[in-house]
Amino acid sequence: MAATRTAPRPGAAVAPPAAPPPTARQPRRARAQVGRSLRDLATSVALVAAALLAWEGYKALGRATGDLVPFTSLPLPVATDDAAMPHVWQVVAALAGPASAASDQSLLAYYLQQTSVTLREAAYGLALGAAVGVGLALLMRQIPWLGRASMPWLVVSQTIPLVALAPVVVVWIGGAGFPSWVAVTVISAYLAFFPVTLNTATGLLSADPTHVELMRSVAASPLQTLLLVRVPAAVPSFFTGLRLAATASVVGAVVGELSAGAGLGIGRAILTAAYYYSLAPANLYAAVLVASLAGVVFVQVIALAERLVLSTREN
Amino acid sequence: MTGQATTAPSTAIRLAGVSKTFSTSSGDVVALDDIDLDVPEGGFVSLLGPSGCGKSTLLRVIGDLVTPTAGTVEVAGTSAAEARRTRQYGMAFQAPGLMDWRTVRRNIELPLQVQGVGRAERRQRADEMLELVKLTQFADHRPRQLSGGMQQRVAIARALAMQPRVLLMDEPLGALDEMNREHLQRELLRIWRATGTTVVFVTHSIPEAVFLSTEVVVMSPRPGRIASRIPVDLPYPRTDETRLTDEFQAAERHVRERLHAVLEPSTAGL
Repeated sequence: MAATRTAPRPGAAVAPPAAPPPTARQPRRARAQVGRSLRDLATSVALVAAALLAWEGYKALGRATGDLVPFTSLPLPVATDDAAMPHVWQVVAALAGPASAASDQSLLAYYLQQTSVTLREAAYGLALGAAVGVGLALLMRQIPWLGRASMPWLVVSQTIPLVALAPVVVVWIGGAGFPSWVAVTVISAYLAFFPVTLNTATGLLSADPTHVELMRSVAASPLQTLLLVRVPAAVPSFFTGLRLAATASVVGAVVGELSAGAGLGIGRAILTAAYYYSLAPANLYAAVLVASLAGVVFVQVIALAERLVLSTREN
Repeated sequence: MTGQATTAPSTAIRLAGVSKTFSTSSGDVVALDDIDLDVPEGGFVSLLGPSGCGKSTLLRVIGDLVTPTAGTVEVAGTSAAEARRTRQYGMAFQAPGLMDWRTVRRNIELPLQVQGVGRAERRQRADEMLELVKLTQFADHRPRQLSGGMQQRVAIARALAMQPRVLLMDEPLGALDEMNREHLQRELLRIWRATGTTVVFVTHSIPEAVFLSTEVVVMSPRPGRIASRIPVDLPYPRTDETRLTDEFQAAERHVRERLHAVLEPSTAGL
């Protein structure tokens, strides 16, 4: 807390009172920060490596015991043959191999291309969902009775299974003459708006009561109180919601593609790989791997935007 | 409830028969019961009393943040609601309540921004206020880079930014340590004398009330009533030496006796 710090003497802010030690502090702190992020990165990579080792270890165990739990006659929960659990290197080899017999494009390049289509839909969906989410949160905050009455229905909207709803959306929007990516975007937005609404509404309510009372004492209009106190107070919560929404928007886009019937997108590619699973099991794992890595990158981009906004606001 | 301009120009605040009852789930609570009070223009009146005596409620009734159940409040010849609408009040609370997403200067500008004052004039007025509370060097700092005492000074500067006729303060020094507290008491007196603002000041500290005020209003709890009004005749400017004088200590003892007289009957009843 600032209150526990000793008050700097007036003038301390203009010129540092004592000459700083010859080795300036700033670079050292920056170096410590770089060291920390390198360590974090190394830990992340190590966790992935550990997961791959566990995969291969389990597979080796199953091969050795004939898919039985050691020293028992109990079967292992998941079979370990190459059809059920391809080797890590088989998945890598599949990614490096051609996308199809007739193509000279690698499977990785093909999946990345499909993923870029999906991420674009997810980005549109996230933008639309965030806009709708913020709009709803503001509406609910300004008209409390409407907010209380509509909240249960917003919850219901998220409990409807998406696989049931997505085809309906596709039919409606396709029927209106829009291309299929529009339907996918809408489905993505449908999942994305909810965490934004919930977190932004909470943030709008979290305004410091002293700030609100202060605004009343100077006869501020409700709109001024909203814009000068509540909205700034809600920014951190909004970003928490946006990060959750980023994950949801990718899921929404993938599921949307499954229903949309368009030949594009990683969701579509996953479906195709699932059809041909018995012929090339590694392809499905490869597709899921690429899709999830892309999702991580997408969420990281949002997190970076959050850090940028919050740090410019505070410095 | 219409506040006719019956107030003499020398009276900044006039309360007549003010009562406030809060309805709670466990029944009605009488927070204020039949309060009459005059505060002269340019006066510094402290509301002193134990917790639950309604002093903060009374302050909020004066500032039109709480509507009284009965009685009238006149401020500068009009109703409290009109006074708030025409921005006659500056308020400071126990928590400084500064906004972390604004610089110190922009915090002080906030009331002016609400008022619709232009950017250049806002900045100029904020700079004047910063000079008044001696924080000019910290204009572009963030509130949390400041100590608690400095934050409270910013809050006071913000309260004064609109040049209010009435400054309402709810234990603004309550969270500070003794050293900082006495320092800010001196600062507050200096600012008050420089601006000529009428001050209503809520506190639970006897020495603080005596040191600052032209008049100490002792309140009694359950229901909140005015028990006694004690003028403090110590000359201004008051300094740290003032605290050591016999007159100061006599005044402090007098207020203490009145406050204890308030507390005795209520504890005897338990």
